[in-house]
Amino acid sequence: MSRKESNDEEMQFNREEEEDDEDENGRGLDAWERTYADERSWESLQEDESGLLRPIDNKTLYHAQYRRRLRTSSAARIQKGLIRYLYIVIDLSRAAGEMDYKPSRMVVVARQAEAFIREFFDQNPLSQIGLVTLKDGVAHCLTDLGGSPESHIKALMGKLTSSGDASLQNGLDLVHSLLNQIPTYGHREVLILYSALSTCDPGDIMETIQKCKASKIRCSVIGLSAELYICKYLCQETGGSYYVALDESHLKELVFEHAPPPPAIAEFAIANLIRMGFPQRAAEGVISICSCHKEAKVGGGYTCPRCKARICELPTECQICGLTLVSSPHLARSYHHLFPITPFDDVSPSVSSDPRYLPKNCFGCQQSLLNPGNMPASCVSCPKCKQYFCLDCDIYIHESLHNCPGCESFRHSKTGKRGHGVLLKAEEKVHYEAREPQSNLEMEKRSRDLRKGESPQEIDLQDTINKEIKMNHLDEGKYQVALRRDSTPKNKPEFIAH
Amino acid sequence: MKFQIEDVTVYFPYDNIYPEQYSYMVELKRALDAKGHCLLEMPTGTGKTIALLSLITSYALSKPSNPVKLLYCTRTVHEMEKTLAELRFLHNYQVKHLGPSARILALGLSSRKNLCVNPRVVSAENRDSVDAACRKLTASWVRALAVENPNIPTCEFFENYEKAASDAVLPPGVYTLQDLRAFGKEKGWCPYFLARHMVQFANVVVYSYQYLLDPKVAGIISKEMQRESVVVFDEAHNIDNVCIEALSVSVRMQTLEGATRNLNRMNQEIERLKATDAGRLRAEYNRLVEGLAQRGNLPIGDTWFANPTLPEDILKESVPGNIRRAEHFLSVLRRLVQYFKGRLQTENVEKEGPVTFVASINAQVGIDQKMLRFCYDRLHSLMLTLEITDTDEFLHIQTICDLATLVGTYTRGFSIIIEPFDERMPHIPDPVLQLCCHDASLAIKPVFERFQSVVITSGTLSPIDLYPRLLNFNPVVSRSFTMSLTRDCICPMVLTRGSDQLPVSTKYDLRSDPGVEKNYGKLLLEMVSVVPDGIVCFFVSYSYMDGIVNSWHESGILKEIMQHKLVFIETQDVVETTLALDNYRRACDCGRGAVFFSVARGKVAEGIDFDRHYGRLVIMFGVPFQYTLSRYSRHDKRSKLPGWILSHLRDAHLNLSTDMAVHIAREFLRRMAQPYDKNGAMGKKTLLSQEDLEKMVNGVGDMLF
Repeated sequence: MSRKESNDEEMQFNREEEEDDEDENGRGLDAWERTYADERSWESLQEDESGLLRPIDNKTLYHAQYRRRLRTSSAARIQKGLIRYLYIVIDLSRAAGEMDYKPSRMVVVARQAEAFIREFFDQNPLSQIGLVTLKDGVAHCLTDLGGSPESHIKALMGKLTSSGDASLQNGLDLVHSLLNQIPTYGHREVLILYSALSTCDPGDIMETIQKCKASKIRCSVIGLSAELYICKYLCQETGGSYYVALDESHLKELVFEHAPPPPAIAEFAIANLIRMGFPQRAAEGVISICSCHKEAKVGGGYTCPRCKARICELPTECQICGLTLVSSPHLARSYHHLFPITPFDDVSPSVSSDPRYLPKNCFGCQQSLLNPGNMPASCVSCPKCKQYFCLDCDIYIHESLHNCPGCESFRHSKTGKRGHGVLLKAEEKVHYEAREPQSNLEMEKRSRDLRKGESPQEIDLQDTINKEIKMNHLDEGKYQVALRRDSTPKNKPEFIAH
Repeated sequence: MKFQIEDVTVYFPYDNIYPEQYSYMVELKRALDAKGHCLLEMPTGTGKTIALLSLITSYALSKPSNPVKLLYCTRTVHEMEKTLAELRFLHNYQVKHLGPSARILALGLSSRKNLCVNPRVVSAENRDSVDAACRKLTASWVRALAVENPNIPTCEFFENYEKAASDAVLPPGVYTLQDLRAFGKEKGWCPYFLARHMVQFANVVVYSYQYLLDPKVAGIISKEMQRESVVVFDEAHNIDNVCIEALSVSVRMQTLEGATRNLNRMNQEIERLKATDAGRLRAEYNRLVEGLAQRGNLPIGDTWFANPTLPEDILKESVPGNIRRAEHFLSVLRRLVQYFKGRLQTENVEKEGPVTFVASINAQVGIDQKMLRFCYDRLHSLMLTLEITDTDEFLHIQTICDLATLVGTYTRGFSIIIEPFDERMPHIPDPVLQLCCHDASLAIKPVFERFQSVVITSGTLSPIDLYPRLLNFNPVVSRSFTMSLTRDCICPMVLTRGSDQLPVSTKYDLRSDPGVEKNYGKLLLEMVSVVPDGIVCFFVSYSYMDGIVNSWHESGILKEIMQHKLVFIETQDVVETTLALDNYRRACDCGRGAVFFSVARGKVAEGIDFDRHYGRLVIMFGVPFQYTLSRYSRHDKRSKLPGWILSHLRDAHLNLSTDMAVHIAREFLRRMAQPYDKNGAMGKKTLLSQEDLEKMVNGVGDMLF
């Protein structure tokens, strides 16, 4: 084939392509143009002092926001509502089909909701979730309150189409009628993921908001595009929080903020006893009729301590006798919310620029605390053990680990040689590193990863929690627990013999 | 808080002050010291009113020997009430700190419609009929008759007020219109006449622009004000319009027909009077021969509109002989009305100057300039002689006489325009003859001359150097202040192209182009889908708004907009617009979202705060630049924008198309929805406490200048 021919062919090919483009030219933009027009990738770049391009540094901004949240949420030891009944309201109106989040708002919302549901049950094993969707001006209950993440996620993923207007009032009315039935000790919450910028209501939404307020339903809204007055008002009135997401990662952060339990509402905060059962795991190979699926099953499952019915999953409410059934690890995992570790202090550059006081590495991950170019980067220090940590470890410690590695290692080694408080001299540090090549944090991270795969029964509980709750006193299936949600250090949970 | 500006201790009723409020006060103080006029621009919502009030009252308090009086002019009754409420708050604070010596008398003054407490009078539907109903009960001859015949109704409040005579005074304090009514009811005194009387003694008077600018009203109300007064025109960005309107008259067919009816009625009265009481006409004639147009000091109930020309232009001569007799005068008016009727028959738009107009009147119906000039005085005298009380019926002939007097008095700065139909509806004949004043400086000139300091202030006075030229005065201080914000919460954008990349503009030759209209519609449609709550759209004129809304309706864009937000439109009707605004607010409150179409520099939506979620986005379809003959180039135009907008206008936002603007709006709104530190980041203080101020004055901090 001669060169000319191939050129001709190419041109022809091009022409055809052009024609195709013109045909499907719906919005007046080509597909490749659209990606640029919508994403505007050039806007996420900035010029530094020397004129070089680099991505806009959002890390410090995010960290600042995280710090602010930390300060407001975990100030001192506040009572927290550990038993939560949360409805997630997902807006699937016309606006949810918009494509400013890729591929579309509703897909992103569903993705985050899925992750959130898993995280929620991980952090709040005693709580339950239900799903509601808003579409075509009506609210639809997708799933009832329940403790199984899989069933919610399955129901949500099957319903992803958007149309019509959103009605906040209808959504709130529905949730109100559903949440009004739950027992009084439970904390009623609504999390609304709202794409629309307006609400089309049949009546006076202010009345509905007052109704929710009267029923102590805490309504929080996460907006996807801009601040809407009525949402702000709703959250203000009912004590919830209102945030608007900047992008998908920010949305994830905002959604996940709702995973740890919120401070308890004063009226609910009186300590009272809740009846709970700790079912025993049924022996292998026993055939029994499952009360939740209404069919015969072999092995596995749990037995309700009161009515002896077989249950597949924990936590749940017994279908037969209505007893709340949990396992002790669930309780233990809810426990750390009551004793959050204190927020770390920001280290001001003036202190950290003093070379003598300058810690080179993060105490957690042993990464260097210096920026490229030996400029001190921002870091934080624990007010108790005075160790320095990088910003990533800061978030990890507070959000996942719930133990300060510095304080823990300090406590373990009280009898040992190391841990002179604030500073380790260089030689000493080298010696210490040589002795303990793995940092505390790495170990913690690994143990956490290990745990993930295992069933809750076999979880090796964290040391500290073991120390706090005398787990060895607990014989599964024979005790009921009364959890005092009043959490001053003196009032550790009491366990009462059944 | 209490702080010192040079030799004046300023009492400010809040704990914190914006830095721009402080510098505003400093400039104002300098202008007062210099006894000169000043021009101050400060953005809306930064607390101009309280800064003004607290500085001027504190200034008066610091000079007890010769306290200045404050005449505060607002445009609407609503603003008047807001100002007085703020003044009361300030006054309470000052009295708390200074004791009873700080007591002042402050009151609002409005028309009888807003002040009357007589249920029989105030039930009338409009201002003119309330005035007439009041006159029917309070005119001196009515009252004289009532003494003899108790069946003739009078107003008990007015009678009580007259009886109390010099005892009828207001104790010191701050009185809103509401308070005045309550006080009047309690004492049984007429609040309107009481307020009008007390205006001369009050330390602070809050009233409408007209009471100073319109010679017809100012002649009665503001005649006695002392020279040592500070006059404040608040929200004065269209003060030039008020000035022009005060001296403009328009005559329609209905006016002429009404005037003919009035003349017939007066003719009957004259005939009746001739038969019953010829002496009264005789006495009037004698008075006119002696050169007294007025009957000397009129009883307070008899005063009517004063001469429409400015005080110094009123001739102090006797009325010309050929209109001294009532019948002669009536026939002159008849001829004049007939002449106007003839002029209104025209098919084309006509425009001429006052000189040719007067010459043509003289040639065609034989009325010379001097007779025209005396029309108002002569009519006024005749009405009093005939003892006519239903003044609202006689507004038509009064309009004719006002026009005659003005056209006879002024030869420059005016023109006569005759239009055969309304521009919007060319097939319906609606002829109108207008006497238009072009020179805003005419009406305001006496104010500048009479009072030692005149303060003109508003959120938007840009370009600020234009106003001294428009109003022909020399300000000693002329400054524009910006706004200190804790974050950049204003994002101005300039749109030049539509979604199809074609240029859009509200230039006269482009604005009715269907492509441009469609592009504007698309812009609004895109915006309603990304902006929450309230959107306000300003158009340059009512006719343009009507045209574009019609075209959007026809092309279905309006319907698509309604899917996102409800649409409300300002009309020229006050009640309708108030209702629309009310519903607009409700739609914003309940989350439905709404768009409000309004006219920039229009009269109805003036002074309405579209704050917070009531105005998340403002679209100006055309910028209402103060009209000047020279055309600004784009860059030049930009510099004519108010400073507080200009300081937030980025170069990148100057030349946008619809999709870019929508994208920027979306990102901006996301950013604005993020929580922020109210105390101001980066050490930039936006609210100063007393200590901050003291530090600043002592030269420690120089963050201001």
